[in-house]
Amino acid sequence: MDTLPVSHTAGRGPLAVIRFLGLVLLGALVGGVAALAAVGFVTIVLWLNEVLLISPRSRMMFDQRGMLVAATVAVPALGGLVVGLLHRHIPEGRPHSPADVIAAVQTRRGRLPGRAGGVSALSAMISLGAGASVGQYGPLVHLGATLGSLGARVLRMGRSDDNITIACGVAAAIATAFNAPLAGIVFAHEVVLRHYALRAFAPVAAAAIVGYVIAANVLERGALFHVADTAVPRPWEFALFVIIGGLGALVAGGYMRAILDVGRLAGRLPLAAPLRPALAGALLGVVALWVPDILGMGQETLRFATIAGAFGSGELLLVLVLKLAATALCLGMGFSGGVFSPALVIGTLFGALCGTLVGEFSDAPQATFVFYAVCGMVAVTAPVIGAPLTTLLIVFELTGSYALTTAALASVTLASPIAAQLFGRSLFDIQLLNRGLDLSAGRGQALLQTTPVAEQLTRDCVTLAPQTTVHAAIPALSEARHAEAYLVDARGCYHGCVTLPELEAAQQAGESHRAIVDFTETARPVLHPDSSLWDAMAQLGEMTGEALAVVDAERDDAFLGVVYEARIARAYLRHSDALRKEEHGTG
Amino acid sequence: MAPVNLGTLALLLIGATALANAADDDTLHVLSWGGAYERAQQEALFTPFTESTGIPVEVHRYDGDLAPLRRAVAEGTVPWDVIDMTRSQAMAACDADLLEHLPADLPAPAPDGTPASRDFLPGAIGECALTHSVFATVVAYRRDAFPGQRPTHISDLFDQQRFPGPRALQRTPAVNLEWALLSYRVPREELYDLLSTRRGLHLALERLDSLDEIHWWEAGDTPPQLLADGEVVMASGYNGRFFDAMLDREIPIEILWDGQVQEFETWAVPRGASNADAARDFIRFATTSERLAELARRIPYGPARHSASLQVTTHPHSGQDMRLHIPTHPLNSAGAIEKDEQWYARTQARIDAYFEDWLASRP
Repeated sequence: MDTLPVSHTAGRGPLAVIRFLGLVLLGALVGGVAALAAVGFVTIVLWLNEVLLISPRSRMMFDQRGMLVAATVAVPALGGLVVGLLHRHIPEGRPHSPADVIAAVQTRRGRLPGRAGGVSALSAMISLGAGASVGQYGPLVHLGATLGSLGARVLRMGRSDDNITIACGVAAAIATAFNAPLAGIVFAHEVVLRHYALRAFAPVAAAAIVGYVIAANVLERGALFHVADTAVPRPWEFALFVIIGGLGALVAGGYMRAILDVGRLAGRLPLAAPLRPALAGALLGVVALWVPDILGMGQETLRFATIAGAFGSGELLLVLVLKLAATALCLGMGFSGGVFSPALVIGTLFGALCGTLVGEFSDAPQATFVFYAVCGMVAVTAPVIGAPLTTLLIVFELTGSYALTTAALASVTLASPIAAQLFGRSLFDIQLLNRGLDLSAGRGQALLQTTPVAEQLTRDCVTLAPQTTVHAAIPALSEARHAEAYLVDARGCYHGCVTLPELEAAQQAGESHRAIVDFTETARPVLHPDSSLWDAMAQLGEMTGEALAVVDAERDDAFLGVVYEARIARAYLRHSDALRKEEHGTG
Repeated sequence: MAPVNLGTLALLLIGATALANAADDDTLHVLSWGGAYERAQQEALFTPFTESTGIPVEVHRYDGDLAPLRRAVAEGTVPWDVIDMTRSQAMAACDADLLEHLPADLPAPAPDGTPASRDFLPGAIGECALTHSVFATVVAYRRDAFPGQRPTHISDLFDQQRFPGPRALQRTPAVNLEWALLSYRVPREELYDLLSTRRGLHLALERLDSLDEIHWWEAGDTPPQLLADGEVVMASGYNGRFFDAMLDREIPIEILWDGQVQEFETWAVPRGASNADAARDFIRFATTSERLAELARRIPYGPARHSASLQVTTHPHSGQDMRLHIPTHPLNSAGAIEKDEQWYARTQARIDAYFEDWLASRP
């Protein structure tokens, strides 16, 4: 058996430095490509919104009332149909999202599929262009990640470097879309990498800076919020911000539940998969005839929600509920898009509702209204994407206001932990858990859980027929220099395992003529072909012996081979070592 | 530069006219707006052009009506070679195929070599028309009305607690809706997106409604007069008119540049112009940084190119620092908004009706 490779002390020579600089350069390159892709994506969506009469400006400039009504229903419906048909070209039949990126990085699988990524980006573009109530940042993140992974694959780089280039694409996408490089860097670490290593930081930072520079020169957009310079909340208002955070966590939970529940119900609809988003689009369009605020990403609604008095409190509640329902409907029924932008709108409406109510029952000045809106916004968005620091930084970088960031901090303090306790770390984590990947105990466990133990399978072991006598079995084992034998009948079925000490004890007791099947070890567990390294480690704790048999329960307990305890331990050490190098290496 | 001697100018003008009569086919026929504007153009553009090329210039006047141009092009007898027109009209005329297309390399680069495409304002170099100057609708206020403080943001127009007193506004939805919505501190980039929603229009009118006394004006010379008479303390109006009031009539007013709504003057060549080559030469000459800066020294219209805005100095006769008075100077242009002509072209009737309904509902 080969020995464990000695782990080298990472990067000390000049060659290592050059290699590392190469990685940083690649990060900047990935950042540039991802940023340009993001700019292209956003531009096309805006253009589609103009041409397809989704944006308020184009609707206002279009003078024929009847045509406008028809388009409001037909455009999302047809868009949904196109999206549904596109999704047939993805193996899983659903668009890929940041959850897939997180899974690929957390399990060190990397290698995001290019085709599924491209189709997902295209379908998200059409979803957003046709006015579906979905977000744009998720698709941008996934597109950036796919481009980064593609870069690593083209250059034949290892899994650790693949993870880093994925993070670079993600950081650049966020830096470009929000014009906020720090938020991009933190998002890549907080949501995707989930560890902090200097080796990853430098390339990710390079990517975010390139993204920011490109965004600052190409995309002209107003800041998400504006704060009048003089407004500072009174001390007691901070207590309210904390409470808004707690309540916002519940809104976030309701939002996530609604998306997942609609998704579950949609699966039971007696309707072909491509028709589901079409139906959702038609419903959305009909409701939008009365409440146009729910169409599209809702930039205008977001803006109005930060203005005191733009909505009455009843109106705020109505738009909030409808926007939440519309987003759950669109995403659950199979439109492609993110969860962040709708969460921004819902959260801001929620904060505005709180601010309006506070204004009605107290003498809080209208000047701090925007603080309530922003607190509601972070309280809902941070739990949904599982990124409290990122949302804070977005607020800080977009407003440059320290007072506003502090208020947001007060709100997020309760929001994120409450939502994590009640629902899960983020919508992505809940989705992954439903798909069988549990990230709640960290990356080490997730990695072992996704590594099949079958990789360590061997047939290099002693197999005996169950009816072999003890007398015949002992020399067979001695000859093979093994202490255990696995009982396999003529049909290949597994009947348990015997150990040499047990057999010798039987011989001493004068039972050497009996069949060995009578002496099998009852407590010895077995593994299945899809058992993970994690399962195997758990079972090692309860046994003593050489190896575990791998048995296919679905094929009549067919014996496939064994996995030696030593190899399980070695595989575990090797994965831990790789993780340690990735997370603690410097370059 | 020394102030132009009026005597020399008169002689030159006589000479130019004589020249024009002698060789009529050579003359460049320019259609422009007359008045003080034409006098400034004469000093800064037409006379120097004739001096440097020998081509005489004859100026005709119009009031912006496109109908004569439409007729002339249809009949094939276009009497002008160059027209000074607003950008919205130039866009309409271009769509109607009444103008020649201009070559992309027509405008000269800046003196420091910066290509024209980066030196001109965004959107200034059009298919059929080259934007040369910018004028603005602004708010002016009486300097003596608010002791101790001054309006600095357009939202101060609606703040009658800090800045008490009656206002005068133009009786149109344009500009008023923009300012009203801007007073909620929304970003300028999103102005027309937000005005396209029922909620945005409602908010804007609600803000206008909050003003308890509004004098509505229609003619451009009314607002300086209302300010002069002390009838109002703040008024919207054209920056050129306020400039005249400040300088010539010494009325104690000040311009609030934040929120200025910019509109554009362009040069265009009508389809079938008999002297099209000379017309293009003139446009290139008249839009150099030097000439634009000279024009802006004589009338407070902002040059449409950055390098020229920076070169503007003092008024040649009064010695006034003209930088304080032109819309495009960096000191003034930070809070400028560009009127969305396309938006108005498509929505004018509905917006007008909405505005008139609101006016009628005011007590």
